[in-house]
Amino acid sequence: MNALDWCFKKSIWVYHVNAGACNGCDIEILNALTPYYDVERFGIRLVHTPRHADALLVTGPVTRQVRERLLRLYDATPEPKLVIGVGSCPTGGGIWHNSYATVGGLGKVLPVNIYIPGCPPRPEAILYGVAQALGLVPQQVSPQEYAEVT
Amino acid sequence: MLKHTISELKEAVLCLEAGQVTLRYPFEPHPPEGNFRGKPVLNTRKCMSCGACGNACPARLISITDAEGIRTLLFELARCTYCGECRDACPQEAITLSQQFELSTASPQDLTIRAQFQLVMCTECGEPIGTERQLDLVREKVNAASEFDLGALDYLRLCPACKRKAFVRDARLVQEVAA
Repeated sequence: MNALDWCFKKSIWVYHVNAGACNGCDIEILNALTPYYDVERFGIRLVHTPRHADALLVTGPVTRQVRERLLRLYDATPEPKLVIGVGSCPTGGGIWHNSYATVGGLGKVLPVNIYIPGCPPRPEAILYGVAQALGLVPQQVSPQEYAEVT
Repeated sequence: MLKHTISELKEAVLCLEAGQVTLRYPFEPHPPEGNFRGKPVLNTRKCMSCGACGNACPARLISITDAEGIRTLLFELARCTYCGECRDACPQEAITLSQQFELSTASPQDLTIRAQFQLVMCTECGEPIGTERQLDLVREKVNAASEFDLGALDYLRLCPACKRKAFVRDARLVQEVAA
């Protein structure tokens, strides 16, 4: 592990990108920054330009208009970087998964490190997701399979 | 100046009274409210794969496909909005929304529910008519509604078209209806 990777685990600065979200997830991200949840005690803070950021916090199903801007933002973020999709929309397109105006999920545009589903996700879930992206907590979901045997 | 200092002191005292507001969340669990809608869970013992949930789902994430004698019920929960419409639509109350909210994952495929049921074919023409559990439910209801034993006739194992033909051929059934 080199020094850059070691530093990366400590306190990540996030840049919040609204890629066509309904503002539900944006409000929950804002909620996570309030003293009640207080993510700054872990060194996580919101920055105002992608050039200062370690992680992109993307909300929304990625509309066609915002796709180009999202790619430019991704290029502007210095390496190493994380891409975190917040909400059901980046995860699978949400209820706009088959709309002509959206790309239908963040995974079709950028390489995503972690998805945080929820409509909107709780601030605790966002906190958990960011910690999971850094490898600090384990994953809790697994697919449910069932086959009737006769 | 003095006024300013006093007001600051007042605020400090207020803060002392309030104590710690910040949740100790990652170190201590913070469970949601009782009627929180988390990840849907399918009770496969109750589900009869009727597809009412798929009709109700606004995100159209529940699909039902019949192939090679197996009915597959697939929930792609990646785009789930946790609205609870599927739970309300389910006649068997097989879907419940759990309290689980820490659903973060690197691949959306981890959020799927796949349930496979054996299809029952029509004994006359071989068309799929439903699953064994659906037939059991129909049999139960028919037997409860009438003393006439339809279940024993294997009448329920026919598709609607074959059922009509069998009905006309069976003189006993026609007489029963006419009487």
